Amino acid sequence: MNHILHITASNTPAVVERLLQVTRYRGYQLTGLQMTPRADSRSVAIRLSVSGDKPIHLLTSQLHKLYDVQQLELAGSELAVLSA
Amino acid sequence: MKGAELVLKVLQQHGVDSIFGYPGGAIMPIYDALYQSSVKHYLCRHEQGGAFSAIGYARASGKVGVCMATSGPGATNLITSLADAMLDSVPVVAITGQVSQAVMGTDAFQEIDVLGLSLAVTKHSFMVRSVDELAATLNDAFAIALSGRPGPVLVDIPKDVQLAELDYQPEATTSVRPVPVATSLANAAKARALIAGAKKPVAYIGGGVHMAGAMPQLQQFLAANPMPSVTTLKAMGSVAKDNAHYLGMLGMHGTQAANLAVQQCDLLICLGARFDDRVTGNLQKFAPLAKVIHVDIDPAEINKVRFADAALLGDMQQILPAISAGTDCADWLNHCAQLKQQYGWRYDHPGERIYAPLMLKQLSERMPDNSVVACDVGQHQMWVAQHMRFSHPRNHLSSGGLGTMGFGLPAAIGAKLARPQDTVITVTGDGSFMMNVQELATIKRFRLPVKIVVIDNQRLGMVKQWQQLFFNARYSETDLSDNPDFVALAAAFAIPGHCITRKDEVESALEAMFTWPGPYLLHVCIDDKDNVWPLVPPGAANEDMITEAKA
Ligand SMILES: Cc1ncc(C[n+]2csc(CCOP(=O)(O)OP(=O)(O)O)c2C)c(N)n1
Repeated sequence: MNHILHITASNTPAVVERLLQVTRYRGYQLTGLQMTPRADSRSVAIRLSVSGDKPIHLLTSQLHKLYDVQQLELAGSELAVLSA
Repeated sequence: MKGAELVLKVLQQHGVDSIFGYPGGAIMPIYDALYQSSVKHYLCRHEQGGAFSAIGYARASGKVGVCMATSGPGATNLITSLADAMLDSVPVVAITGQVSQAVMGTDAFQEIDVLGLSLAVTKHSFMVRSVDELAATLNDAFAIALSGRPGPVLVDIPKDVQLAELDYQPEATTSVRPVPVATSLANAAKARALIAGAKKPVAYIGGGVHMAGAMPQLQQFLAANPMPSVTTLKAMGSVAKDNAHYLGMLGMHGTQAANLAVQQCDLLICLGARFDDRVTGNLQKFAPLAKVIHVDIDPAEINKVRFADAALLGDMQQILPAISAGTDCADWLNHCAQLKQQYGWRYDHPGERIYAPLMLKQLSERMPDNSVVACDVGQHQMWVAQHMRFSHPRNHLSSGGLGTMGFGLPAAIGAKLARPQDTVITVTGDGSFMMNVQELATIKRFRLPVKIVVIDNQRLGMVKQWQQLFFNARYSETDLSDNPDFVALAAAFAIPGHCITRKDEVESALEAMFTWPGPYLLHVCIDDKDNVWPLVPPGAANEDMITEAKA
């Protein structure tokens, strides 16, 4: 199953590595990644596409724990909005 | 003031009285500031040991443990202990020196990407880029370590930031409180209905209960809703000693009564635990008849491995009273009491040789109230959990999630410094002891009256047991019969000791150890053939325990 996550995160040096590390460790494959710093450059908008056999909540609940993640939305899903 | 001095100022503001560390080039400015500071630094003899002492300090006291190391090898030596703190949710702040920013990224001497290394083993980590953000970053580190589900936080501080001058204005309010957790009682009514309707409820208690400060609420809950209870390794000591319905530890080396009750129950109330594989055995066959109520502070634990019929997130202190419904399960309580009696431990071991379970029971009965026991990893660790009784989980320090050999001795050092009034004992194995044996030098230097009990089977016993049971008795690399003379080794650090081999020597040896005012090593020789029972074999359901008789 493919999933698209829209993430707003603090623009800290390791933020993308953190997202990717959790994605890999929790057993999902990365299929796409886009990031755009917001105008004030304090946060970044990240679009993360992943695929995996496990239910996606197992990934979103872990990503959501990352201290740098401010908001996380699962595109096109019911249990979508979880705000930090 | 320099950044380095600010680091110590902030530590003081957080009430840090003891830190564990080891100096080196990239952290020299902080060590220079330490020279005049009132913060007490305990020089460990390996950074892994220092960080384990910080963990022992934190687990025995509930406060944040602090450790420090230099860049490169100093920082990499912390990694194992940070991983240990991560898996056991221990609040630790690790401060590492880093090379100056001017040379970062050039493979400078003792430069390694510590922030990168930290990702998998910390709750969060920071690299401080300017002295202006130093105080705020350290404050955040303390808040994050303690908030929600606690964990380790690393702060990497380049040398130029430590040396930079700043105009320090003490903030009006400096104490940073952990962020309060939002508690959702939305499913409380559902949970109460499940509890009220259950015929065979069991409370499955994890480390999250005491870490939430909810020990009183737990006793009240168990009193108002009489039901059998079982604990994880991290929660030993959570249930009051006079609770008749307590069945002991569950899981791979749990008691038969605990495992059978969980397998038969119709409602499992999981409190601050996470269905770890050492607890569940074969997950598909774990508590197959049970509905589940899961209470935790970490949303990621809910429905991670076992579906929860009712999940409650947040502060255990508020949730426990909110789900109290009263139980009516006298037959079930009787049945579990029978299991407990039928499968009670037996200590009538034949022969003259020391039987470790009995020796640990004697130790448990003899040790002063509120003693702390820090154990290592292996068979002796499981025997401690099975045969010693604790009045609080802060009195039983055991590396649960990571299962890290070498934990016991340095953790005991940290515990002794956190609780100087209490007796601190480390129960270690002949393999584990050697993994951080250098910390005997720390005990010597600070004259720490830590009692060291080495249970010596001349083997890497737990691995040997698995080789015997599951690898056709092919004992690959588990023989330690050329161990050093442990009493002589202790003597080299000015620690007296004594070696015993016979059952009838145990009582007087324990007496001598406790009477001696300083550190002491008791070398306990046991039979290399003794194994830990019962055992749930890999892949099996928890009711399929192997016992000594069956093996
Ligand atoms: C750092 C580390 N390395 C390896 C292991 C694997 N391991 C688990 S128990 C054990 C044997 C421990 O031997 P000992 O400390 O003598 O205790 P015993 O089992 O004999 O009581 C080993 C090697 C581990 N848990 N930790």
